[in-house]
Amino acid sequence: MSIGLENEFGKIEISNDVIAQAAGGAAVECYGIVGMASRHQIRDGLTDILRKENFTKGVIVRNVGDDLHIDMYVIVGYGTKITEVAYQVQSKVKYTLSRLLGMAVGSVNIFVQGVRVTNL
Amino acid sequence: MKHLNGHRFAEMVKMGSHHLSDNADYVDSLNVFPVPDGDTGTNMNLSMTSGAKETERVAEDHIGKTAQALAKGLLMGARGNSGVILSQLFRGFSKEIEQEEELTAKTFAGAFQAGVDTAYKAVMKPVEGTILTVAKDAARKAVETAEADEDLIRVMEALTDEARASLKRTPDLLPVLKEVGVVDSGGQGLVFVYEGFLAAMKGEKLPERSAEVSMDDLISAEHHKSVQAFMDTSDIEFGYCTEFMVRFEKDKTENHPFDEQKFREDLSGYGDSLLVISDDELAKVHIHSEEPGDVLTYGQRYGSLINIKIENMRQQHTAIVGEGHRAERPAKTGETHPYAVITVSMGPGIAELFKSIGASAVIEGGQTMNPSTEDIVEAIRRVGAERALILPNNKNIIMAAEQAAEMAGIEAAVVPTKTVPQGLAAILAFNPEATVEENANAMTSAFSHVRTGQVTTAVRDTTIDGVAIQKDDFMAIAEGKIVKSGASLDEVTRSLLDGLIDGDSEIVTILYGTGATAEEAERLASHIEASHPEVEVEIHDGKQPLYPYILSVE
Repeated sequence: MSIGLENEFGKIEISNDVIAQAAGGAAVECYGIVGMASRHQIRDGLTDILRKENFTKGVIVRNVGDDLHIDMYVIVGYGTKITEVAYQVQSKVKYTLSRLLGMAVGSVNIFVQGVRVTNL
Repeated sequence: MKHLNGHRFAEMVKMGSHHLSDNADYVDSLNVFPVPDGDTGTNMNLSMTSGAKETERVAEDHIGKTAQALAKGLLMGARGNSGVILSQLFRGFSKEIEQEEELTAKTFAGAFQAGVDTAYKAVMKPVEGTILTVAKDAARKAVETAEADEDLIRVMEALTDEARASLKRTPDLLPVLKEVGVVDSGGQGLVFVYEGFLAAMKGEKLPERSAEVSMDDLISAEHHKSVQAFMDTSDIEFGYCTEFMVRFEKDKTENHPFDEQKFREDLSGYGDSLLVISDDELAKVHIHSEEPGDVLTYGQRYGSLINIKIENMRQQHTAIVGEGHRAERPAKTGETHPYAVITVSMGPGIAELFKSIGASAVIEGGQTMNPSTEDIVEAIRRVGAERALILPNNKNIIMAAEQAAEMAGIEAAVVPTKTVPQGLAAILAFNPEATVEENANAMTSAFSHVRTGQVTTAVRDTTIDGVAIQKDDFMAIAEGKIVKSGASLDEVTRSLLDGLIDGDSEIVTILYGTGATAEEAERLASHIEASHPEVEVEIHDGKQPLYPYILSVE
């Protein structure tokens, strides 16, 4: 699936992978996010933190009609206010996609799949 | 100061929170990263206030407990990115000194360092040039200072100075800050907190507005905000960016004593994006106004004007956004039609044919490349009409066309044509004076007595509708049913035509495409005229791919 635009010069197609990469990149820059998690936890290993090249496994881009919906599976750092971090990711992803791709996002859904506790 | 106790620390927190609160608006105005929504100051202020409130409840004079209360309050009240970071900084800070009743210079500096370490752990990809960088640089300096100096105030001083210096460097680390010409908002908020801490340790009072606040920062932040706000040059209400300074003159201020509050209120009547900073001798003013002359005249009441700069923002804005708008221009400058008749077809020849008989837009598409709903909506939008009729010319596109009609935002209807000849017949029945509904009905009945024949090649061996077909054979399709197949294009087409034409037929239209030539089409025409002298034959070069012939019989 992809997003298509057309202008006087021709067509522009942006694949869902690109959108997932852009969204994932925006999310991991958010404070409180320590990684993306796979949506297939059992298959890909329990709460494995995805490495950068696998970001897209933790980001699902869905086209419903003309709307773009994004599901993100994230892992947050322990001790952060999780709801606030999730909210920040939503707003950052929405902003980044509108700036990079010029497209409005219908919804950004955050699934917190894990909390990483580090020894202090 | 050699020791820091819990009560004094609570005072520091209170002062830091106050100082941040006093300057929250300024911090808001700096907010361009990560999302320029101008709420960093508000968010940090709410977070810090929640932290300070929690510390007030600690009666005991135990700094470990006070810091813990602060961390708890910050966590619960954390708002926004910088609020969350602030809460992490002090969570690490409090964890480090949990057991301490009093702090020395070394443990104090160490706590800041622990806070930074914790804060960095909660992010995968720290962005430098933000509050994190400011906290990190400041803590490192504090640790360095504390090694040689036992005085807590001097450590806090070094920490605050370094925080300010680091803040100044943020634009070098984060490009978006440099672009806009501001320092990082979260970093600035942290500096305000540290300044409050320091003042409380020294027992000083802080000025309501920090002396560090520079007018230039404020101006660039204001401009950044307005660039964001105006999408269209014509939306600019106040067209001139006016900056000047008033040097107060005694004989004038005797009649009009200068009062910043009143000055600000009076000026706000002239425009928006108003900024005023003043001291005893000077007032600096920045305002976006439609009457810069009046603003200057008003300023002159208080003294002489210096450093006057007036810029036409509409002109600047046109230059900035001009590039971006070019892509949309065809839609805007295209003449408006009361009706948009949108058809879908393949082949430039057919597209031209459609346009010559009244289609306002032809979308490329057909058998294997169906246009999406969005393509159709976009085509309607480009025509800029008030009403639209859509001719899909393919049964697979009818659904998309119906969705597009709903979403077009104007009155629209679909004429459910399934083939190109049906579309051609329908469009000839179009009446620009009639309503959408009348047209849809008239056009639908117009194409209903058109019979369509298509000739194409088979992509694999198969049997459909009882006709055995070999790969690369020509197939004749009459009204969607395969009636004949064979290796000779001419033979297949002739038998198709003979099947389609009956006693009532008047006009036969031949659209030849890739795989057929004008001569071959001519030969077909003479064949028809010979066998059915009563019909007229029209030939068009449709240039369509996949179908050597598309035929219609009316």
